[in-house]
Amino acid sequence: LRCQLSPPQRALRTSAVLRRVSEEQKEPLASSSQQQFDSHPTDPRPEQEPQGPRPSYTGQGGQESEDYESEEQLQHRILTAALEFVPEHGWTAEAIAEGAKTLGLSVAAAGMFHSDGSELVLHFVSQCNTKLSELLEQEQKQVQLGEAEKKPTEQFLRDAVEARLRMLIPYIEKWPQALSILLLPHNIPASLNLLTSMIDDIWHYAGDQSTDFNWYTRRAVLTGVYNTTELVMMQDSSPDFEDTWRFLENRVADAVNMGNTANQVQSTGEAVVQGLMGAAVTVSN
Amino acid sequence: AAALCPCRAVLARRGGALRALCGSVRGLAAGPEAHFGFQNVTEAERREKIYQVFENVAKKYDVMNDSMTLGIHRVWKDILVHKMNPSPGTLLLDVAGGTGDIAFRFINYVRSIRERQLQRKLKHHQNLSWQEIFESYQADKSKSLGDSQVVVCDINKEMLKVGKQKAQHLGYSEGLSWVLGDAEELPFDDDKFDVYTIAFGIRNVTRIDLALQEAYRVLKPGGRFLCLEFSHVSNPLLSRLYDLYSFQVIPVLGEVIAGDWKSYQYLVESIRRFPPQEELKAMIEDAGFFKVDYQNLNSGIVAIHSGFKL
Repeated sequence: LRCQLSPPQRALRTSAVLRRVSEEQKEPLASSSQQQFDSHPTDPRPEQEPQGPRPSYTGQGGQESEDYESEEQLQHRILTAALEFVPEHGWTAEAIAEGAKTLGLSVAAAGMFHSDGSELVLHFVSQCNTKLSELLEQEQKQVQLGEAEKKPTEQFLRDAVEARLRMLIPYIEKWPQALSILLLPHNIPASLNLLTSMIDDIWHYAGDQSTDFNWYTRRAVLTGVYNTTELVMMQDSSPDFEDTWRFLENRVADAVNMGNTANQVQSTGEAVVQGLMGAAVTVSN
Repeated sequence: AAALCPCRAVLARRGGALRALCGSVRGLAAGPEAHFGFQNVTEAERREKIYQVFENVAKKYDVMNDSMTLGIHRVWKDILVHKMNPSPGTLLLDVAGGTGDIAFRFINYVRSIRERQLQRKLKHHQNLSWQEIFESYQADKSKSLGDSQVVVCDINKEMLKVGKQKAQHLGYSEGLSWVLGDAEELPFDDDKFDVYTIAFGIRNVTRIDLALQEAYRVLKPGGRFLCLEFSHVSNPLLSRLYDLYSFQVIPVLGEVIAGDWKSYQYLVESIRRFPPQEELKAMIEDAGFFKVDYQNLNSGIVAIHSGFKL
């Protein structure tokens, strides 16, 4: 005869804990468990996604779930809080533990994550990519509304890559460590995914309409530009990284020229082939 | 057992209608049903018997562990502490921690992490004056554990005694305390500990659900529950060998080394009676823990269950 609490009751008790964590961030509400059933209409927590039933992958009571944060959301909050401690502790479980502490959780909560700090780096990269997308989206809106000029491709690419790389500046000391973590075999699928979707995004907002082979070359080229500029940035000690931006300018110019050169090569090639054909016809006659 | 007889006689004569009544009367008279190894006993009897088992084996507990598992139990316990990955400043509650194995490993681990932290700090102290460096040495030396603490709680006085002697013998004094207590009713306040461990102890608890609820209660929000326990082997060949070893070899070792066949017979039987991995996982989730998971060691001979109070 096992004493089993019925699911709604248990979810109530556990949600009291999750709620308490979030309450420490806002003004303290009179926390009686009854309140959990009253929906909080103006819940200003930014991380809360469109209310849906809590994912019941662990099979725990999920009926009255709209007010409760899911484990994933809590994990995201912990990782975001942990970023503040990265300059001091690096991309490690220690930083995550410190982050958990600021949310009022025990340091043992860092045990939810991998001990090598992988999730922290991936979370940060994902966050940066999202920020970049929003930035580019806003710029596009401005252009559509006529408030700004549409930039030429070269300029657009330069600005986008610069904006994205500038997000690394607060963590630049520990960024080499992050890069090495991203290159760990078990992280490569995820990090590659993030990289390619970021590059995709940039080209999308640059107005890339190509559906042919160019689609691949463009992405490969821009990925190369991004990665090399990132590495240069690690070594750069100039004021406000001006050397890096100059390097970036050159690389983007090269990339664009390469596109033109490729076309030239193609047309030259075609001309040569036609010449040879003509010569062959002449010879055969 | 005597108290059960009159009720049973009544049952046989009156049949179903009275069964419920007698059931409850029986419950009042002699306690709910439980098991002790393969025997069926009442809960009260079970507690008594288990207390006696550990009273008897306390002095030879460590020796028997080594001989029964061929020393592998040390590796299991190391893996548990590694999985915990405690940072300095962690407050650990080790329940049923009797002879202190987990506690000592915890202290060692935290100490080495702390030393590494100090070394890293020193590397950054490039531009300090000698006076400042000297002062930082003084400050850090006094906190070799970095405020970490472990509380060892056990229900059995003999086991605690052995544990305290071991601690003295091995030189552990800082950050360690010994408390007599029942896992089903812990003598601690709510939300106190960062990590709760129970290594090879939860099998001996009579009401596992109560122990899990207590674990939930005393953990801080975000705290972690870790349980290291014998579990079920799914591989049939290994299972046969394991059974053979358990029932033929271990009680004999118990008799030869500790002079106590019955206690080790109990040990082996209790392992068979313990719920398998998935069932224990469900029980932990019922107590309110999240992100509950388990890791099999040695194909399921032992399993580490982990859950978080979120």
